[in-house]
Amino acid sequence: MIQFLLKRLVGLIFVLFCVTFITFIMGYLAPGDPIHFIMGQHFNVKLYLQLRHLYGLDLPWYQQYFNFLVHILHFDFGYSYKQQQLTVISIITTNLPVTLELGVWALLLQFLIGIPLGILCAIKANTWIDTANMGTALLVYSIPGFVLAVFVRFAIAQIDQATGAGWPPTGWGNPWQYTWPDIQAKLAPILVFALGGAAYIARLARTSMLEVLRQDYIRTARAKGLRERIVIYRHALRNALIPLVTTFGYSLGFLVTGAFFIENIFNIPGLGSITVTSVSTRDYPVIQATVILLTIAIVLGNLLSDILYMIIDPRIKAE
Amino acid sequence: MSIQDKNTEMNDAGGMLSTTPISSPLHESTVDVDNQQEKPDQQKSLTPSQQSMRRFLQDKRAVISLGMIVFLVLVAIVGPPIYQHIGTPYTNDAGKQVGPEVYHNPYRHDLDFEDLPISARFWLGTDSVGADLLARLMQSLLISLSVAAAVEVVDILFGVTIGVLAGYYGGWIDQVLARITDVMFAFPGLLFAILLTGILGPASDQFLDTLPVIGQYGNARLIIVSIAFALTSWPVMARYVRGQTLQIKANQYIEAARTVGSSDFKIITRHIVPNLISIVIVASTLNIAGTIIGEAGISLLGLGVQDPGSSLGLMIAERADAIDTPHPWEVLLPCIVLAIIVLAFSFLGDGLRDTFDPRSKD
Repeated sequence: MIQFLLKRLVGLIFVLFCVTFITFIMGYLAPGDPIHFIMGQHFNVKLYLQLRHLYGLDLPWYQQYFNFLVHILHFDFGYSYKQQQLTVISIITTNLPVTLELGVWALLLQFLIGIPLGILCAIKANTWIDTANMGTALLVYSIPGFVLAVFVRFAIAQIDQATGAGWPPTGWGNPWQYTWPDIQAKLAPILVFALGGAAYIARLARTSMLEVLRQDYIRTARAKGLRERIVIYRHALRNALIPLVTTFGYSLGFLVTGAFFIENIFNIPGLGSITVTSVSTRDYPVIQATVILLTIAIVLGNLLSDILYMIIDPRIKAE
Repeated sequence: MSIQDKNTEMNDAGGMLSTTPISSPLHESTVDVDNQQEKPDQQKSLTPSQQSMRRFLQDKRAVISLGMIVFLVLVAIVGPPIYQHIGTPYTNDAGKQVGPEVYHNPYRHDLDFEDLPISARFWLGTDSVGADLLARLMQSLLISLSVAAAVEVVDILFGVTIGVLAGYYGGWIDQVLARITDVMFAFPGLLFAILLTGILGPASDQFLDTLPVIGQYGNARLIIVSIAFALTSWPVMARYVRGQTLQIKANQYIEAARTVGSSDFKIITRHIVPNLISIVIVASTLNIAGTIIGEAGISLLGLGVQDPGSSLGLMIAERADAIDTPHPWEVLLPCIVLAIIVLAFSFLGDGLRDTFDPRSKD
């Protein structure tokens, strides 16, 4: 176990090293001088050289990269190029809670919707319940999230016009507060965000449950006269959930990239929109910080699902 | 479709594969095709490719998807020239004759025709700057499909070459591939594409704009987008190919080939690569769906195709606020087209996987 964890940690550090290098070198090699960009009209050589020095851009690349790594380890991503009075960290911390909230709810909901639905379909396999639900799940899973988001926004707009409920079309309330207007704003994006993952999990849960229901011990449980409810919930369900644990890490990656589009369509001021604006304004420190943060989230998610997997299923030993 | 000619008893074979024994390559070569047609009663075996074809044709969803894809490809390629010749010229305010080749041009903006509904002149209406929606949709389709095709060429070329080498020889190529895929799995392709297009985008607008055909009308960034998706998709393909190569390598016919003195090159090109075709087709079909979503997504974020170009993502982004207006179709149409094309490729990919490997079905 410890050996396995150590091995994974080494791999994790390697991945993070690569990602920091990629983000650094892209910023370094990118055409266009960011200082020129900042100064715009007010270009003067002295200030230019001062700023270059301030941002450490006059050093050779390996030194810049080393400084970059050291700063990251101190959670110091420097100042934004675009909004020079703000540190990158302060920009991120104002937007992170929104994305975090969106992600946590979506992650929770997609398991809460997906697992029961998949189990239900497995129990009712090949009936109309199964076919209808799995057909819908396949559609929802295949259609990209932002298209789904547009359809949902359209539906909301139509209902709103018909009933005059005054439902806000876009935006986000206060993070982690749940008054009625907050809930109104948050409900649709969270649901749309959760649906894609829920469909995937439902399909997986169904397959896994069907596999378990075919096992000998289920037949034994039935043969000794246990009630069907106990067979399913106590004997089958627990074993069927094991493979689903691995999807946890996958879900995180899915959520991170999905957030860009959901935030875009619903105009949510989160980490995704920060990344996109900073990319289009070439605000390298912000880009680097968000990309590294998102990657850390994904890598930790993967690690977490490995650990969970080992805890749940002790047969799996580290090779 | 040679299968259909001689399949009197194919249909009454009933439940797909299970009833027909899988033919060995040896057996199949002894079957005389002409003979089959004359004596339908005789027990005969089909070649693996015939079996696959039959299985595919029985999968209605996959066949419909394939039909849809062919239709969309045709629309994207021959649609625009035809559409630009349909319609009667009209006289505008300045007293000039304007023909369909002008008002059915996807790059045309005409503020006299904002937000029009479906009409004989504009088959699917116009958007907020008076551009013809059908013309723009067809142009967007062409963009989606071209990017997907370009990415797939690189994906297959790199993925198969490196995957085969890693699987066949192992060693350092295998190690490097494993490390690269590790990084790829931690670093989502989309994030990489966003970074690359965002950072190189403005430069490509400047320098690649002069390229004929592909660089014009704000399409220059698509080159960067394609490169980004190609770079992130080949490791996945290589991983599939590597796994399959390892399996094939363990077969006796490879050993036999080696025993009779075939060179490594010959074994790879004659015995391994032909057996990889099915997995490559499946993986690339599914990857096309991903690439189309990716390109639309990048353009949606404003990092792909630029105005006045057309892309499904750009069309959605430009008119996302049309949802609450009386003309929501301006954003719904590209959404629907995108959904259809993505679903078609996903269903086709699923169907092909079941076709080539019926056991993969749950």
